[in-house]
Amino acid sequence: MKRSPLVLIVLAFVVAVMLYFGVHQAQRPGASLTTHLKLSSPAPDFSLESLDGKTTRLSDFRGKAVLLNFWATWCGPCKIEMPWFVDFQKQYGSQGLQIVGVAMDDASKEDIGKFAKDMGVNYPILIGKEAVGDQYGGVPALPETFLIARDGKIMDKIIGLKGKAEIEDAIKEALNSRPAPSQASASDGAVTAPPQK
Amino acid sequence: MTDQPPKPGNSRSSPKRKLTPLSFILLACASFSSAQTPGKAPTLTVAPVPLVTTQRTKQTTVEINFRVPPGYHVNSNTPKSEFLIPTTLRIEVPTDIILGKTEYPAGKDMTFPFSPDEKLNVYSGDFTIAVGVHPLRSVVPGKYAMHGTLRYQACDNAACYPPKNLPVSFEVKVVKEPPAPHKNPAQSPHVHN
Repeated sequence: MKRSPLVLIVLAFVVAVMLYFGVHQAQRPGASLTTHLKLSSPAPDFSLESLDGKTTRLSDFRGKAVLLNFWATWCGPCKIEMPWFVDFQKQYGSQGLQIVGVAMDDASKEDIGKFAKDMGVNYPILIGKEAVGDQYGGVPALPETFLIARDGKIMDKIIGLKGKAEIEDAIKEALNSRPAPSQASASDGAVTAPPQK
Repeated sequence: MTDQPPKPGNSRSSPKRKLTPLSFILLACASFSSAQTPGKAPTLTVAPVPLVTTQRTKQTTVEINFRVPPGYHVNSNTPKSEFLIPTTLRIEVPTDIILGKTEYPAGKDMTFPFSPDEKLNVYSGDFTIAVGVHPLRSVVPGKYAMHGTLRYQACDNAACYPPKNLPVSFEVKVVKEPPAPHKNPAQSPHVHN
């Protein structure tokens, strides 16, 4: 059977279209969670030092809706989000929202502190470690944000800069989540993995 | 079952010939899509540097060409914020070869969706960094390998990627300087006896 070059061109076009839509499918929020960290799986617990020198664990915020934001001082898009997070913390903090920033930075603690102060950050900033990033899928790009429900399970993951309204919708959804029954009595954490130090 | 020779008039060409154009298109599509995959850190590429021949005691400029994948940018060597990580090239040189000035291209001032009010100074597409190489007189003529690292930090329109190091290497052939033009020695007067 003789195939004309036209058939090959059409075939190549179809493949190109499939690749194009494949890439766009992967861009959807939450669609690219790593295999070991899926939606509705417990958010891995960790223990990190905050800017004020205190040791903070993710499980300290059990029962709250947590927005866990991985960022860095060298990340331009992160700078756009931070004022939004400041607003969200003010607006929804009383309803049980806790924003937590994790700086995945080589910069000194002082530089990170200066940056956070300049940005008017009103939520805890923790000094990130690679091991904690690995727990959350390696955090290959910044900003990377996880919405954690009151029961400690991951509800959403946002890679890169998205719209403020999209983040706010995710926050509202997390605030509407119910704490785990065992957490209502504050006797047990939703997190199952041991904290990384 | 026996293999049948192709019948006359069967115009099937060899698989290799038939697949080559399609494979080429697929590879192009695949490389394009991988370059655009969100969440995956882009990798800059460096073009092979042709052998550079230089004389001892003279400085020669070596141009090293880099390419940023489409859809990404890296900070220039002089970004506009103290917190941004500049693109820097570090070269280690053998003994008695001195590194001259490293000349970075001027970046482009650009705004991005994540920074609409603030222009960033960036490299995108192709850019060239020039390095001065200056062998001293004590260098033994021959080929010398130079190794270095380009440190960069890339972003796309919505996300940034951790700093990466790209190995860079090139060879320099050092040759002797031409003999200095020497004046004729003073001629002793002929003595005619």
